[in-house]
Amino acid sequence: MTNLAADAQGATGLAGSAWLLLALPTLGAIVLLVGGRRTNKWGHILGSATVLGTFVYGLALFFSTTGLDAYKRTQELHLFAWIPVNALKVDFGLRLDPLSLTFVLLITGVGALIHIYSVGYMSHDRDRRRFFAYLNLFVAAMLLLVLGNGFVTLYFGWEGVGLASYLLIGWYQDRPSAATAAKKAFLMNRVGDLGLAVAIFLMFANLGTTQYSEVFAKIGTLPSGTILAITLLLLLGACGKSGQFPLQSWLPDAMEGPTPVSALIHAATMVTAGVYLIARSNPIYDLTGDGRLIVTIIGTVTLLIGCIVGCAYDDIKKVLAYSTVSQIGYMILAVGLGPFGYALGIMHLLTHGFFKAGLFLGAGSVMHGMNDEVDMRKFGGLWRLMPITFVTFGLGYLALIGFPGLSGYFSKDAIIEAAFGQEGWRGWAFGGAALLGAGLTAFYMTRLVLMTFFGEKRWKDLKSADGKDFHPHESPKSMTIPMIILAIGSVGAGAFLSVGNRLVDWLEPSLGGLKESEHFVIPKGTVTILTIVLMLLGVGAAWLFVGRKPVPVTRPARVSFPVRAARADLYGNALNEALFARPGTWLTRALVFVDNKGVDGVVNGLAAMLGGTSGRLRRAQTGFVRSYALSMLGGSILVVAALLAVRFS
Amino acid sequence: MTGAELVFVPLGAVALGSSVLVVTTDQLVRAALWLVVALGALAGCFLLLAAELVAWVQVLIYVGAVVVLLLFGIMLTRAPIGRSVDLDSGNRVAALVVALGTAGTLVTVVVGGFRTASIDLGDGSAGSAGTVGAGLFRYWVLPFELLSVLLLAALVGAIVLSRRDIGPRARDGGED
Amino acid sequence: MSGFFSQAQQLQAPDVAYQAVLPMLLVLGAACVSVLFEAFLPRERRWGWQVALTVVTLAGAAISLIVYGNDAPKAGVKTFSDVLTIDRPTLFLWGTLLLLAFGAVLLIADRSVEPGGAFVAQAAIRPGTLQDRVQAAKVGMQTEVFPLTLFALGGMMVFCAANDLLTMFVALEVLSLPLYLMAGLARRRRLLSQEAAVKYFLLGAFASAFFLYGIALLYGYAGSVKLADIATAAAGTNRSDTLLFAGMGLLVVGLLFKASVGPFHTWTPDVYQGSPTPVTAFMAACTKVAAFGGILRVLMGAFASTNWEWRGVLWGVAIASMAIGAVLGLTQTDVKRMIAYSSVAHAGFLLVGSIALTSKGVSGTLFYLLAYGLTTVATFGIVSLVRDADGEASHLSQWAGLAKRSPIVAGVFTFLLLALAGIPLTSGFVGKFVVFSAALQSGMAPLVVVALVFSAVAAFFYLRVIVLMYFSEPAADGPTVTVPGAFTTMAITIGALATLVLGVFPSFALDWAGAGGFTF
Repeated sequence: MTNLAADAQGATGLAGSAWLLLALPTLGAIVLLVGGRRTNKWGHILGSATVLGTFVYGLALFFSTTGLDAYKRTQELHLFAWIPVNALKVDFGLRLDPLSLTFVLLITGVGALIHIYSVGYMSHDRDRRRFFAYLNLFVAAMLLLVLGNGFVTLYFGWEGVGLASYLLIGWYQDRPSAATAAKKAFLMNRVGDLGLAVAIFLMFANLGTTQYSEVFAKIGTLPSGTILAITLLLLLGACGKSGQFPLQSWLPDAMEGPTPVSALIHAATMVTAGVYLIARSNPIYDLTGDGRLIVTIIGTVTLLIGCIVGCAYDDIKKVLAYSTVSQIGYMILAVGLGPFGYALGIMHLLTHGFFKAGLFLGAGSVMHGMNDEVDMRKFGGLWRLMPITFVTFGLGYLALIGFPGLSGYFSKDAIIEAAFGQEGWRGWAFGGAALLGAGLTAFYMTRLVLMTFFGEKRWKDLKSADGKDFHPHESPKSMTIPMIILAIGSVGAGAFLSVGNRLVDWLEPSLGGLKESEHFVIPKGTVTILTIVLMLLGVGAAWLFVGRKPVPVTRPARVSFPVRAARADLYGNALNEALFARPGTWLTRALVFVDNKGVDGVVNGLAAMLGGTSGRLRRAQTGFVRSYALSMLGGSILVVAALLAVRFS
Repeated sequence: MTGAELVFVPLGAVALGSSVLVVTTDQLVRAALWLVVALGALAGCFLLLAAELVAWVQVLIYVGAVVVLLLFGIMLTRAPIGRSVDLDSGNRVAALVVALGTAGTLVTVVVGGFRTASIDLGDGSAGSAGTVGAGLFRYWVLPFELLSVLLLAALVGAIVLSRRDIGPRARDGGED
Repeated sequence: MSGFFSQAQQLQAPDVAYQAVLPMLLVLGAACVSVLFEAFLPRERRWGWQVALTVVTLAGAAISLIVYGNDAPKAGVKTFSDVLTIDRPTLFLWGTLLLLAFGAVLLIADRSVEPGGAFVAQAAIRPGTLQDRVQAAKVGMQTEVFPLTLFALGGMMVFCAANDLLTMFVALEVLSLPLYLMAGLARRRRLLSQEAAVKYFLLGAFASAFFLYGIALLYGYAGSVKLADIATAAAGTNRSDTLLFAGMGLLVVGLLFKASVGPFHTWTPDVYQGSPTPVTAFMAACTKVAAFGGILRVLMGAFASTNWEWRGVLWGVAIASMAIGAVLGLTQTDVKRMIAYSSVAHAGFLLVGSIALTSKGVSGTLFYLLAYGLTTVATFGIVSLVRDADGEASHLSQWAGLAKRSPIVAGVFTFLLLALAGIPLTSGFVGKFVVFSAALQSGMAPLVVVALVFSAVAAFFYLRVIVLMYFSEPAADGPTVTVPGAFTTMAITIGALATLVLGVFPSFALDWAGAGGFTF
């Protein structure tokens, strides 16, 4: 396991101006935000052009790097010393290595396609310019996240993508649910960010640095307890951003945003930042088997939750969102396997980026033609009316369920195999869960496709929410072309990346070589066959339950417990409420009570109860000086008493 | 027991007793006058402790100025002279508890802090006006000057809060 | 008689390093000149003269500070018989105070946002009467606010340079008294403003009593009020520690009150809400700087050797402050009250840095003060712009959909709120980063974790406002956003730009803040 991170090269030549990668989208965002209405006419063109330009430059950078020897592929570009005081050194620099370049291509490539798609999708929106500004902002922040050469720089991008995601989830301001979803996303992300921040502080306190190269070089000197703590805190950060258990429930709600946003941010790129974080920190995770085990467990649990809940929803975007949760679970499971899986996780991330973005764009196209309806029970028989959407969506679907030969097959099958490669019970548990997940994925995705594109045209007798008839139609070219390109990616990317270990070798300078397990609990060939069998079982079951009989337009209310539980997100919200919201509410109430009413309030409240008059109670909330003084006196007595108690105890 | 201590004890008793009377009497004017006695006795205590200047300041400022202000206040607000029942607050018990608690704390802290310490008063010049003045203008000249700044600010503030005849003169068509 | 004169001849005037204390003397001297302006200039010409005098004074003081600071001895200078110490932190604090006061004075001087300025024309008129309504429409204002500002500023400058507790106390009074008065001078909502002034005055007097009593006990303990003497006494003496710790407790309570650290914060929301907004800006930014300057100096100078005994207690206070600020901020419905609670939370973060007792803790706290002050001045500048017929529309519901009405104002406000929340690339992030890392290095990891948790909680209520501004439909009869005149625009621009610059290139300010330690 050679890690070449320590001897990074100084960036020269083309790589020397890598800051352009960040500057272009930032420039776009600034021009669009500052320029205001004046830029309305050409704002979307500028927004798309900057990202496209970044992609082209990234591509050039990529090709110039592939020509280099493996050990020269990691380049550091120092920009400026950000906080250079005494021992407190935080440099602001970029790290160009195979891992970050891979992400740059994914982000700008998919990003450019989705920008182009949005030109058509958002054409009716008055604020299209602002939408493009936010998208550009997102691309810039995401690039900063993956290109930074230290954890603090990563944290910047981390917060930046959070902000952009937050702004875009709440895009449809008139919907209260959008504002709620935005808030929820923000809150859950804060929990995760907190973990990341504490992890960074821990590194800083113990190692005196947060640059990757120095942290990775020195991390081995720390006691194992500290390393475990750091890995778990990083994992918490990853869970927040990537919608992993127990912080998964914001991601499906985030689908309140416009569909291109769901595709770009909440499927292809931002939500995979957690996977990036763990893969990037591989020298830390390599040191702690326990830490990796917990990562694997979290991934496994999440992938099952995502699959199960995905089976119960009727909202097309929510099903895709839970599918995202579950697929990221696969990636987290993979990177949790350590040297056996880092590269596999990244590979699945890439293929998933293609097919999931394509699926979301397809869903957006369906919604575009169906007056923004998202309830699959109101769709049906659309394949003839939207042929391009159907074909591209269908290819994405086949890729996702792991149909042999398509990209999901290569990446997911590899993860399942690697999971079975673990020793003892781990192999059985993780491999079994991953296998089961593959079957469930096939089930819910087939259900989705059947309900949307096949069967009777249930929308014929219905009206949309604003009282119009449905006139399904194919989407304009600016939308279908990105879908076609992504569909090509969904078909070919897997084979392209995995044949001859192309991706694994390319990533070796960043992630170390991919290890092959020696002892599989089930032989590899059997795993492949089992995967295909389970997939077919899932498809068959979906056809039995959904395809054979007519789909009721309203959702059946009387269902069995498992379905009810799944519909309630497996009680994920209830769990979060109990863990985070309730104690917070109680604390707030208690503090408000003490602060507003003070001791006076307590006394008067008692008096009011006894005397039965509410007037005195109301008066107690007006903020008497005397109750303020009393609370000050109380505080002082506490301080002095505590000082003396500490002294004389 | 020295002569000074012999005088100190009755003076202290007078200060304490008259303080109690200040808060127990039900006539406002008498309370103010008892305050004179209490503060005067305290000035006597200061004198015995060789704090000459502080003693005279006490007489001048507190006995002289503050109490006179109080009496003026009573006069100007036309407070009832003679017995008034409503001088007794309903919170007497609570006030007593707080007062006793404060006194207890102070006594404990001071006694705890200075249990065995004793200060030699010397020839009594430590608290004389000369010594204090020299200290004031040699070491504490900045705080002293700052206090005059404070008073100036307070004066400005008092004018701001109380002057009503600001603005163009009434002849210029002003409102007031 | 001869004895009197001979004694007078013995009295030597203390040496004064005039160049070092020139900024302070300029401010105090200008305050006195400003009083003369009030006395002798005709009313209608006062405003112009006062603004000119104040701005020139602040600029002059800043220049003299820079000139002196360029070649000041690193060890610092003690002057006025050692009652003042002009060391590196003092210079940084003075510079911060002058800069923040400049911003606040711009807001105070503004007459474009509210016709006639934010200050009442006649403070003595009883609120709610006919005259009161007449005066609310009059153009004049009580220009006494300018000398009062300078007095307060002078007091703050002495306060952070004071080397002994007595000077500190006098300076505390000098800085507080003008603020009590200024709090009561709002043009609109007179009753609320007067209530704020009275509350601030009463509670401030109460806190001063604590401070003074603490000094008395410490004097009893050390036989001196000088910080260095107290430190010497605490390091090696057989006297009872009761006096030391009781005295320190009371002293610190007095200081914490001024810095509005919870649970001694109770005045903050009421006073922030009631005061004229420019005064709130001045109070929130400058008082906090002065108070924490004092806290740093007292803790480092007098009590560093006994920190094992008291640090735990101040941990508790810091946590209480962060909790109170962060949690109660969530339930506020008034913008100014919300920022008040945010300042309570920030005071908790600052306290975390202050009790690190290392040079990094000092420089981190100093930087935090600068960053926080500049952001706060700009924030209140924005608050003063959103108005309806009754003056400022400070109820949060009135801010709904502000981004639709005035995207620029909403954008700048969002940026400032993000800075207060500590989002990267703003000065707030750098401030938190340096303070927390200093605290970590002096072994306070649990406290830092708690602080991080609360900063995450606090971020939510800033976000609530952002959501409100961007994601809500504006009310039909909502407030308008006044186009600010040059003064307010300048104050907001300075604050917002500094927030950005200190977030992206903080190194120069961090260098200044870390240029040297305290001298006692």
